[in-house]
Amino acid sequence: MEVKGIWITENISDPKKGMDRKRSEFMRRVYKIMKKVQLEAGQLKGGQDLTADQLNDLLVTLGKKRCKSSFRTLFDFYAPRLKSFFLKVGTTEEIAEELIQETFVQIWRKAQTYDPSKAASSTWIFTIARNRRIDRFRSEKSYIFEDDSYLHKHLVMEESQSQSVFEKEIGHKMHKALARLPANQSEIIKMSFFQDLSHGEIAECLSLPLGTVKSRIRLAFKQLRSILAELDQ
Amino acid sequence: MINHHLSDEMILAYAAGALSEGQAMVVHCHLEYCDHCAARLREAEALGGALLEELDVPTLTSLDFDDMFAKIEVSEEMQEPLSMETSDTLQERATPAMLRNILGHGIEDVKWKRVGPGIRQYVLPLDLQEGENVRLLRLSPGFVTPMHTHRGSEMTLVLQGSFCDETGRYAVGDIQDADGDLDHQPVADTDVDCICLAVTTAPLQFRGLIGKLMQPLVGI
Ligand SMILES: [Zn+2]
Repeated sequence: MEVKGIWITENISDPKKGMDRKRSEFMRRVYKIMKKVQLEAGQLKGGQDLTADQLNDLLVTLGKKRCKSSFRTLFDFYAPRLKSFFLKVGTTEEIAEELIQETFVQIWRKAQTYDPSKAASSTWIFTIARNRRIDRFRSEKSYIFEDDSYLHKHLVMEESQSQSVFEKEIGHKMHKALARLPANQSEIIKMSFFQDLSHGEIAECLSLPLGTVKSRIRLAFKQLRSILAELDQ
Repeated sequence: MINHHLSDEMILAYAAGALSEGQAMVVHCHLEYCDHCAARLREAEALGGALLEELDVPTLTSLDFDDMFAKIEVSEEMQEPLSMETSDTLQERATPAMLRNILGHGIEDVKWKRVGPGIRQYVLPLDLQEGENVRLLRLSPGFVTPMHTHRGSEMTLVLQGSFCDETGRYAVGDIQDADGDLDHQPVADTDVDCICLAVTTAPLQFRGLIGKLMQPLVGI
């Protein structure tokens, strides 16, 4: 089966070095297949082979026991990825690392509020990192994102149990769902998250009408939802 | 019962942290009313989390875990414990918590300024990007805006009462994202004052409710 989407093949170590073009193309395919197998096994690439469940457990343990070794493992896993994230959204290397530190200070302080039945650790950490970045580049009077856990504290509480189970599963399945999204849709989703561009700017960047960008976003969400529902069965 | 929700694009932009502050504020207030959009936001944030996990892993240059942890331990001693208190539901409060935070009080105590017959406003004292404004708007029952055609974008959230136009009826918690060539004539259609929270973005444009209301009156 052909793997769709741009996420699978990206960011693996460059196979081009020291090889001719044909061989590098072959290696790309091999990496692609390896990557797919990894994802299907529910594992995430990187230094350690940590599953989403293991990452959630680490965050829970950190919250309950103030456990330094869990904290370190989370740091080893997420810090480089956060660096990648902050660099992509346009910060310097220096500021990227400052923001990683700020993010982990928040993770340490707020881990006790983390509830794995409501969000995957990746989701929770992503929102903290996003808010650190907004905080850094927007005015000091920013009320909007001052409380990272606001939505989780105030809005998620009333959720029914069945919904919560779905929420928890979302984080796990999102990788698979993303991989099945058509490339022109995942491209725009990716740009929205990582290029600090408004949808108008994305439209300009891709030489597309704004309406097309918007309709692709709607299509992407529609498709993600139906893929997630399919994976649920 | 909320009938008018945020678009997927708005949810995505909010999740990505790409909205202007004023827009983010109004979106946030809608999320306080709306479990449906809050759940959609968590989907979008889960997407962000999944994308984060799939990013490459560059080495850290100056950041070191042990140094960082030492700093955290030092600051820990001065840190107040995290409060876990919960607040009342929005139904009991009438004013979204975020708005109350900014105002320092509820919508019942707003110092309104009259801008024309049947219409009052209060511009929020926020430090926003140039040309962006967040304001509260209060329309007397039966207030009919003059029909105009404008261009631009604006988001309006109903906090009290309701208004209706060609696109439907907007009651408490409903949000109107006047994006596109909307040409409408909103009417405050309940017997209480209709209070809305609205954000207009630069350059000041006149397509939505605020544009219709204010442009002929005050020439913004
Ligand atoms: Zn909604």
